[in-house]
Amino acid sequence: MFTRKPIALLLAGFMALTGTSLAQAGTLESLERERANLLDLMLSGDISMQERQTKISAYQARLVDLERMVLRDKSLVGKNTPVVRSAFANYDLTFLVHASVEKDRLLMDHWFEQLGVTGQNILNARVGRR
Amino acid sequence: MTLFKKLPALVLTASLLGSAGGLLAPVAAEAATWTPRASEKLIKLPGDHLRRAVENDFRKSTLAAAISEADEKVDYKKSTLQDLKQALQRNAGSDEEIEVDLEYQLIGEKQAYLSLARERQALKRKKAETRIRLYERLLAKMNRSQKALSPQKALLVEQQKQAQARFQGSLGKIDTELMQSSITTQSKYATEYANNMAAIENLVAAINNHPMNQAPTVDGVEVTQEDFVRNMITRNQAELALVDQEDMVLGYMAKLVSLDALALAENISVADSGADVVAVDEPRNSITSTVDLFISN
Repeated sequence: MFTRKPIALLLAGFMALTGTSLAQAGTLESLERERANLLDLMLSGDISMQERQTKISAYQARLVDLERMVLRDKSLVGKNTPVVRSAFANYDLTFLVHASVEKDRLLMDHWFEQLGVTGQNILNARVGRR
Repeated sequence: MTLFKKLPALVLTASLLGSAGGLLAPVAAEAATWTPRASEKLIKLPGDHLRRAVENDFRKSTLAAAISEADEKVDYKKSTLQDLKQALQRNAGSDEEIEVDLEYQLIGEKQAYLSLARERQALKRKKAETRIRLYERLLAKMNRSQKALSPQKALLVEQQKQAQARFQGSLGKIDTELMQSSITTQSKYATEYANNMAAIENLVAAINNHPMNQAPTVDGVEVTQEDFVRNMITRNQAELALVDQEDMVLGYMAKLVSLDALALAENISVADSGADVVAVDEPRNSITSTVDLFISN
């Protein structure tokens, strides 16, 4: 009777341990990598508009999942590292797809807007020497 | 004259009880101990289970055994007092010596009762004070773990909360808009996540309804763990205040017993010296009565 109690406690402890799911490592790193590729694609000048749009849509689908993985990743909560701090300091830039859809903007427009580059700014710009 | 022998004891009783509460310092209270630890394991226990764990720990202590023993002794002494009081009532107006003897015994038993009661009070006080200390330590640990966030980390946690809120707020809209797009179809992750989420929600509901996971309640209202511990501190402080008040009652009882002892001592003194006074008042040794002896023929 007395030996059952420690076993039950041990089992409860084990259950509690397994309950805390082992967080997937590197969700944020994967998101950053995918986002960098997307931005590279957006800025590349050697592909056609049609091709760019198709590829962006494919990236967008992957980014939706990755952004959700990061937002749902419990291991990142309170993880005080420069990468995590920088990621959550600007939602609009990190969670690019979610933020752009939320604001009813095209992905590219949203990104440029976040960087302070608008169509009006470009039209008003003058070519000159520094 | 037999009654007169009780006088010094009565006067001593009266002076002991009458002086500053007058009871001897409880010895058993110092020997009995309960040293609970405010462990991390205790902090993690939900509400009422925390209280039960504290009570279980207390039950195993020498302090609990001492309180139980003191309770028994006090109850036994109380029944002795009742018996003596009934005997006194039965013998009222009969033999004066028996009556005084019973009164003397009653005062002695009252003194013993007060001594035991004071000892029990000291144990109860120790129990309440230990509980308060324990709950205060638990509360401090809880607050410390919450205040452990540095400003930078606190900002990050706040930003993560905001991101979560924004994500949850726009989730429906985003899903609808992305589904409308012919290119963006439901990914494997999204499908599996939705399935798993349904299973998780069922499990969470089962966990929430589990009797071992009930939120702490105070008077039927759900409260946080900190509020529950704070409430336990308040309860024990109330218990301590009642112990203080009971001490005051014991003090008054002691005063009354001392007055009873004085009254009884005075009665005995009057009764014993009363016979002598009558003898002195008799003019048997008056000089005039012997005058005749000095007058010769």
